[in-house]
Amino acid sequence: GDIAFRFINYVRSVRERQLQQKLKHHQNLSWQEISESYQEDKSKSLGNSQVVVCDINKEMLKVGKQKAQHLGYSEGLSWVLGNAEELPFDDDKFDVYTIAFGIRNVTRIDLALQEAYRVLKPGGRFLCLEFSHVSNPLLSRLYDLYSFQVIPVLGEVIAGDWKSYQYLVESIRRFPPQEEFKAMIEDAGFLKVDYQNLNSGIVAIHSGFKL
Amino acid sequence: VRCQLSPQQRPLQASAVLRRVSDEQKEPLASSSQQQFDSHPTDHQPEQEPQGPRPSYTGQGGQESEDYESEEQLQHRILTAALEFVPEHGWTAEAIAEGAKTLGLSVAAAGMFHSDGSELILHFVSQCNTKLSELLEQEQKLVQLGEAEKKPTDQFLRDAVEARLRMLIPYIEKWPQALSILLLPHNIPSSLNLLTSMIDDIWHYAGDQSTDFNWYTRRAVLTGIYNTTELVMMQDSSPDFEETWRFLENRVADAMNMGNTANQVQSTGEAVVQGLMGAAVTVSNAEISRAVR
Repeated sequence: GDIAFRFINYVRSVRERQLQQKLKHHQNLSWQEISESYQEDKSKSLGNSQVVVCDINKEMLKVGKQKAQHLGYSEGLSWVLGNAEELPFDDDKFDVYTIAFGIRNVTRIDLALQEAYRVLKPGGRFLCLEFSHVSNPLLSRLYDLYSFQVIPVLGEVIAGDWKSYQYLVESIRRFPPQEEFKAMIEDAGFLKVDYQNLNSGIVAIHSGFKL
Repeated sequence: VRCQLSPQQRPLQASAVLRRVSDEQKEPLASSSQQQFDSHPTDHQPEQEPQGPRPSYTGQGGQESEDYESEEQLQHRILTAALEFVPEHGWTAEAIAEGAKTLGLSVAAAGMFHSDGSELILHFVSQCNTKLSELLEQEQKLVQLGEAEKKPTDQFLRDAVEARLRMLIPYIEKWPQALSILLLPHNIPSSLNLLTSMIDDIWHYAGDQSTDFNWYTRRAVLTGIYNTTELVMMQDSSPDFEETWRFLENRVADAMNMGNTANQVQSTGEAVVQGLMGAAVTVSNAEISRAVR
């Protein structure tokens, strides 16, 4: 949901800027953006942009919808129940596919990547934000310490749920490192695959294009 | 050049589909996507060995050479298509996105490039330089075949610089923006490279055979002439840029007369051009001082 909100904000700001330019130059500027969009024939304040939020868990979707309502995002959003390994969408539908801290929880990551490839339009972009591996040895030690000693404890104290946070930390460790994940993305057919480390590897953004 | 190893087969399918879509524009995307999905290989790919990229010019027996397109070529095609949108959008990611759209790609494809439009400009400059080389090559052929007179050096230089600068005319309004982007630190190596090889080319076709110190001074002088003429052109509002060509003529004449003359800086104009000029002159000064040392 969060990425969807930021995207909608971005779209709105671009359109505003464009409107201003239009008024200045009296030209018909066709609208572009390089973020999430789902092409449909609707002309509202978002133009032709739409965001589809998909999750396998109905409760998560509910939370997302509530949040959207609370923050005032009404148009341009759709909420779909679906499994990343088998998406309920047609081929070549989306300009951008993003997944944030979700692909770690998918059983067959390669299937999810293949599905991403399928539903993206030619030229479309796949973006994945996920926990990854820290290369710096010192930071890595500190991070491990924190992950295994502190996080589950906090989980127990704050949420009363040790096991979930233990699972979280373990699933982070099980996830392939940056280069390996990059290779997996390439295997699904994406080109110009690259990644960017955030916080020296604690989190990484992987990007690939369907060309 | 990035060497893509395993996924060679798939992107080739994609670009083949794209080619067909762009060639036969009536063909709906639905059918081509169907094709793409069907040809999507399954998990086990025993025959998929790492291969180097196979660009189309090595083609498979020449017929289906379209099927093999490396990333670089696709990027070039997108940038070339984007040029059409530069007068409207400037040298920006928007222009690249529009270009991608005309090729049947999603606008997200513009994400492949730097967000400041650098690659678009560099691509354009490189294209212009290639065109210039071809032009000079042809002229040389005509001279060799005896069908044309060999021009005196100053005339030759003037014509070459004019021909090259005329290529900017369709984009002249947004060219100052392009110049300032080319002067950004991360672009300077590439833009300088393109500039020096272009100047080198011109001198080569002018018949410069020097192997001594003159080689450096000639190139420095011509670079100075080219840069300053370019900046004058930005400011010129005379019909068909007459003022610019006259300026060019004078500079070339001066250079001929005064041998080791460095730059002649001449400018009238707004703060933007002043700043650009200062930067461009600094760059060419740096080159001269490096050469003279």
